[in-house]
Amino acid sequence: MHRLVGLLLTVTVGLVLADSAIVTLALPEMLQELDASVAQVAWVLISYNLVLGALAVPAALRRIRAHPRALAAIGIAVFAGASAWCAAAPTIEVLIAARCVQALGGAFALVGALELLVARMGERRGVAAWVTAGVVGTAAGPVAGGLLTEAISWQAIFIAQVPFAALAVPAALLVREPVPGDGPVEEPDVAHRPVVGHNVTLGLLSAALTAALFLLVLLLVEGWRHSPAMAALTVSVIPVAALVAQPLARWLQPPPDVEVAVGCLLVAGGLVGLALPPSADLIWTVAPQALVGLGLGLSVDQLTYRAMEGRRPRARHAAWTISSRHLGVVVGLAILTPVFTADLLDAEEPATEAIASLVIDAPLQPDDKIALARALGAELTGQRGQVPELSGAFASLDVAPEDRAAVDDLERELDDQLDRAVSLAFRDSYLVGAGLALAAMVTVGVGSVVRTVRDRPRTPPPSGLPDLPGAEVAR
Amino acid sequence: MNAAVRFAALPAVALALVLGVAGVQVAAGGGDFRPLAPADACADRAATPSRADGIEGLTEQLVLRGVDDAACTLGVSREALTLELAQQDEPTDAQVDALRDGLRSAVGELADEDLLPPSSSLVDEALDGADINRFLAAGIRALPDSVIDDALPTEDVLTRAIDELDVRAILSDLDDADALRDEVEPAVMQAVRDELLDRLRNLV
Repeated sequence: MHRLVGLLLTVTVGLVLADSAIVTLALPEMLQELDASVAQVAWVLISYNLVLGALAVPAALRRIRAHPRALAAIGIAVFAGASAWCAAAPTIEVLIAARCVQALGGAFALVGALELLVARMGERRGVAAWVTAGVVGTAAGPVAGGLLTEAISWQAIFIAQVPFAALAVPAALLVREPVPGDGPVEEPDVAHRPVVGHNVTLGLLSAALTAALFLLVLLLVEGWRHSPAMAALTVSVIPVAALVAQPLARWLQPPPDVEVAVGCLLVAGGLVGLALPPSADLIWTVAPQALVGLGLGLSVDQLTYRAMEGRRPRARHAAWTISSRHLGVVVGLAILTPVFTADLLDAEEPATEAIASLVIDAPLQPDDKIALARALGAELTGQRGQVPELSGAFASLDVAPEDRAAVDDLERELDDQLDRAVSLAFRDSYLVGAGLALAAMVTVGVGSVVRTVRDRPRTPPPSGLPDLPGAEVAR
Repeated sequence: MNAAVRFAALPAVALALVLGVAGVQVAAGGGDFRPLAPADACADRAATPSRADGIEGLTEQLVLRGVDDAACTLGVSREALTLELAQQDEPTDAQVDALRDGLRSAVGELADEDLLPPSSSLVDEALDGADINRFLAAGIRALPDSVIDDALPTEDVLTRAIDELDVRAILSDLDDADALRDEVEPAVMQAVRDELLDRLRNLV
């Protein structure tokens, strides 16, 4: 029973953090079903991260006056209720509002669950469970969302969360020991400052990971026109690689800063690899994704631990890590979205010219070329603003049987041109993401130097004056 | 494990992985995965093989070369000009003039390359599509090829036909094959008549 309580709370943490990206693969379906614009649909993603990022720290401050188990139970209940509301949302505006409420509940659930996991499992194991659940949830979110969308519908993403969260509410209320008298957890009466360096690194890395998780999914589904299930299967490389990272780190035993810096380097390298696919074949995304996953596994949990390590109040420092990560996602979206939307618009002209070139030179009867050009023009005009689907133009083409092979070849070549144009349009965004990961790596290096200088043993002041008090707390 | 190995092992592994992945992607053509760039319209281009023969095949070759030449004159790619013409409501005067000049140049190029068929090989097809008296058509068909070829050099007839063409009307009918024929055939027949009359005048 005790183990089940811990498991349910851990799963809840994973669900709340997975929700940051779980809708990514469902966005195209939402766009169609809710008759929304691309900008509105993007807010389904942004609103959750923004609210969670903004409310995590206030939720942790609130914890001081509230009972942690009540805080966790209420947060989880609100999260579950809002998840059900998301599934029932009839319009995009309602869905965005429900996502905000979901994030509000999620912020309290995360902070409360940390305290309860520590109460249940002890400091080290409780924090470890909370951190690991977050990493796995973040990495596995798009996979779970894609599979549910393909198998059932986008609403299933939210409905599937309700039973887990509903069970976690009584589980949270069952945690008593060692919470004395239903009151707040006893902690030393100190307030350490937030660790700026680690949290900035976490934010920059989250922004970079947005490029990997959000843009890759968008490229696979909207750009290369794969099904959500196929995209989900493809991006499952990232969570798998993230799980491999820990044994690798344990084996090589690097210093913590080196581990984090290497994680950032791997994320940057993976994003460069994604920026340079030799074709639109999914196989070319596997190795770069493995690098991103390894980088995520090496850096995010290590950074989260180190931002919380030995600092009190524990919940407030955990909340800073949540804020850094989710505001990092929002910043990542804010930087990357205009870049790739502008590049996609710019890609329209070269793609259309490449298509025109191939149609003009196609080994077809002149009348067939004219008919095909007319049908392609209609498809391109009708689907303006998104990557066009050209199969409709070819389906309407009535050619002699001996010309069918040439038409099929032409259709493949035109699809290849679209793949090339879209892949090129995503290149800059991936490279910007890689730049963010490298910036995160620089902050690790700078932070390491600052700590080395600060922690260097001091020679006694020549005048014999004592050190100023409070230096330890300020650390 | 000593401190130096602990410090360097993971970065070395990571660097090798990153360079390995990026290297393989680039070596396999990662940097070159971009859409087909339109060719320079002023550069020599290999002739597009045509699936059509007779007048239709000849017309296709003329149009492709003519559009290329016009695009070169206007300083754009063949594809950009084609798309502009397809998307505009009205072609500009510069486009019309460039196209007419381009078609004339195309006739000259095909003649220089000895790719213009003798007019006798086009007669049957032209007469099938022409609205003329069937006894006259039968008479023309009965003429020896050498007489037809001497009377109607293909290059001269085509150049004259291009001068007769209403390029604006043709551009507005580009997506309607029947309307295109209605534009082109009268121009060709007019060119044939004018060319014959000129020849007769020269004889007199």
